[in-house]
Amino acid sequence: MRLTLYLLIALTGSFGLPALQAVPPARDAIRIVQLLRSDNVLRRYPDALPSLLRHMNKETTARFDTDPLFIQSLEDEQLLQNPILYINCDEQPNLEFSDGEKQALREYLERGGFLYLDAGIKASFLGSDLGHSYAAWEERPEVKELFANVFPEKVFVPLQRDHELFRSFYKGLPDNKDLKIQSNQKKLPETVLTFVEREKWPQGTYSFVGLRVKERIAVLASPICAMGWGKDEFGSWIPPISFRIRESSEGFDEKLKLASFKGGTYEVKREDGLNDILYSEPGQRPLWVQEPTGKWRIFKYYSGEEISNFAHAFYTRIGANVLMFALTN
Amino acid sequence: MRIFLQGFVCLSVLLPISDMLAWQAPVLISPKISVDLIAETNASTTNETNATSLKKPVRSSKQETIDHAGRDLRHVEESVRSGAARLLGKYPSPASAAYLTFALDDRIARVRRAAIVSLSELYLNGFYIYEKPLVEKILSKLGDPDVEVRREVSALVPRLSTGLFRSSFEVVEINGRRVARAKPTILRPDLQEIARKAFFDPDAIVRQNILKYHYVLRLPLSAQVLDRLLSDSDLGVLLTALDRVPSSTPSETVVRRVEKLSHHPDVGVRKKVVSVARDSNRRHPGYRAILRKMTMDEEPAVLSMAAVELARLGEKVDSKVIQAVGDYLLGVAGASTQVMTILYAVSAFGEEATKIYSELTEHTSSKIRTIAWQRLLTFDNGWGRPSVWLPALIDRDKTVRRAIVANLNARSRNFDLKTMEQLVASDFVDVRTFAANSLYTARQDAAEEVAFDLLIDEDTGVRAQTIRALASRRTPGWLKIMSNSLLDEEYVIKRAALDGLLGDPAQGIKALRKFVSEHPADPITSLALAELKSRGITQ
Repeated sequence: MRLTLYLLIALTGSFGLPALQAVPPARDAIRIVQLLRSDNVLRRYPDALPSLLRHMNKETTARFDTDPLFIQSLEDEQLLQNPILYINCDEQPNLEFSDGEKQALREYLERGGFLYLDAGIKASFLGSDLGHSYAAWEERPEVKELFANVFPEKVFVPLQRDHELFRSFYKGLPDNKDLKIQSNQKKLPETVLTFVEREKWPQGTYSFVGLRVKERIAVLASPICAMGWGKDEFGSWIPPISFRIRESSEGFDEKLKLASFKGGTYEVKREDGLNDILYSEPGQRPLWVQEPTGKWRIFKYYSGEEISNFAHAFYTRIGANVLMFALTN
Repeated sequence: MRIFLQGFVCLSVLLPISDMLAWQAPVLISPKISVDLIAETNASTTNETNATSLKKPVRSSKQETIDHAGRDLRHVEESVRSGAARLLGKYPSPASAAYLTFALDDRIARVRRAAIVSLSELYLNGFYIYEKPLVEKILSKLGDPDVEVRREVSALVPRLSTGLFRSSFEVVEINGRRVARAKPTILRPDLQEIARKAFFDPDAIVRQNILKYHYVLRLPLSAQVLDRLLSDSDLGVLLTALDRVPSSTPSETVVRRVEKLSHHPDVGVRKKVVSVARDSNRRHPGYRAILRKMTMDEEPAVLSMAAVELARLGEKVDSKVIQAVGDYLLGVAGASTQVMTILYAVSAFGEEATKIYSELTEHTSSKIRTIAWQRLLTFDNGWGRPSVWLPALIDRDKTVRRAIVANLNARSRNFDLKTMEQLVASDFVDVRTFAANSLYTARQDAAEEVAFDLLIDEDTGVRAQTIRALASRRTPGWLKIMSNSLLDEEYVIKRAALDGLLGDPAQGIKALRKFVSEHPADPITSLALAELKSRGITQ
């Protein structure tokens, strides 16, 4: 065998041209595979994943290749050579997969692969309005349909707030130091901070559903998180992010029942399995919500530098936790 | 005092005096403000479709809801007032805007916050306030004692400009004649003062916002103010202030400050300094000097940015610096926007760029390898020399090979035997497909020599492409190859052979007619007959 190899090298040298044989990667950096059906689709947050991977390289001992490996089909042979597959569901023209792809996905997951479906949760009221992250507690219908074919015997299960995913690297919400602001600076408006700490992202958690394959969580789905990962070359976060906050006030339970409204309502599954009823008028952001407890609360929208910085810091921490979980799970 | 009086008179036009004196006095809309009352048509008892078991409430009309909330704004309970302010944000209308604007004077900060957030919501939903007194009132809250209100107002500044600077005219008397003339579109002096003070607001977010949007308010940014903000302790303010440098009047003070910032401990700030120095270098010679000094920066990314910018400006860059740029690019973990900018700009180093690009063809990032190969091959006519581009086709990543092959398809011709042999021996299907494609233009001897290897390739696509190329070249024995290929198991091969024969009206058609008569049951025969018939040939 060695002799053959020498001969081969010698022959190659005699022609003066290099042999066209594959060479192994120079370093053992982990490469994330990203599904991108076409180069012509409108990318949702193209800077996001590379920025998150750079963050991981800077803050952890894990070493990621910061260029995702793009594949157009799940049947691409390169998928099986890499441990983590990332799909931004909002970035796909549709979530239809061929039988061959479903088979390849099943094989990938059974052989130890990990799939993160960003925007794999999408509340129905968002419709085609991309770029909104809303904490629903069930996978989007297309994802449910896909996995009903890939693993007919399995279902997605919501992750509890105390799940190890939320502690796999970062724990809790970002503080002033993480946000790189002065210790006496107000990091968020009062009502926003209260809602975020108690309801939106308590202890730095979020709405995730997972699917177990061979006793481990092999697939994770969440509302879109990629919008919070991107950084420009100077280290500033991109793009700006706003918050949707639920606020209550005296008499709202009665007033909102009677206030003028001329739109439609949507049901969204909550963490406790019950449904919220959202009131939304066409052309406007959702107005208010009727909770199963009988409480009515109004949605308020907050934007600004401090909101955006906080959201980015949070989503990046969640993204880092997902990657670390994928490696250690 | 005069300013105060003017403001007072202006407000009194909108509200009865008694209302202005009491914080929670009834909020009434002046007849001077046009409020379109909404027809009482949308008292909704319908269209709440999707709530499966929701009992339909009898809802009030939009106008009734707004009026009720307006009344609640003067309720004695703070929580009722703040609730009303929150609710009004859901109803874009001049009346809501007026009520909310006056709620900005509530003595309780929480109510004022709710009011400004709702006003912001009106704007976000596309409702703009055009009544100048209202907009001026909102802007005046840049001086509110509550930081959350100031933050919201400062973020709202770009949207306020429409109402603040709408063109209007005034009638004045000149030499006894009444003349209509345009009103100057400038900010009221008292508001100018409030906005100016916001540059130095105790809160960093307010400072950052006003610095970002000062031009919307037509507020000049003097060198002194800019200089002070360039020494701000908050990174966000500092980066925004640096953004303003290229559009501000050149000044020695600012240049000196930017020079100081080129030693800032934060790498992001130093990168920004490079960007600012690049954009401002034509306006003051000091900026180019800053760029030169920054080629000595301890951070390779900053050094590299400065070096390529200098090279782009036509300056000769020291070879040690160029080497450092190459080392930096070799060490990066992937292709960020910044890395790509530097990577492309390396060409500005001239001949020395070749060495850098050559080294980068071994980089771990496929994106960087692709660009490195493309740039390297562009230098010194590399596309025309197989010994230079063949190694690119060894690359492990399909995207790299595909990019190179795409360029080669357009530029390279007449491959010799050695080149063709290398391509045919490749591990990669895409490279072998390229070899089959190259048969069209390869030298005769090379095409004949490697054609057989390609015809027995394990990949159907490669074989089909080879058949098409051979049919096009009409190499000796091609008719035999086509006829045999019509019997192949793969339909795509049969189809390629059929197309090849149809392309030759004399010998090809003759061979095809012979085939269909000898193999009437073959799957391709019906298609072949149809093709022949369309050409007016019947068996």
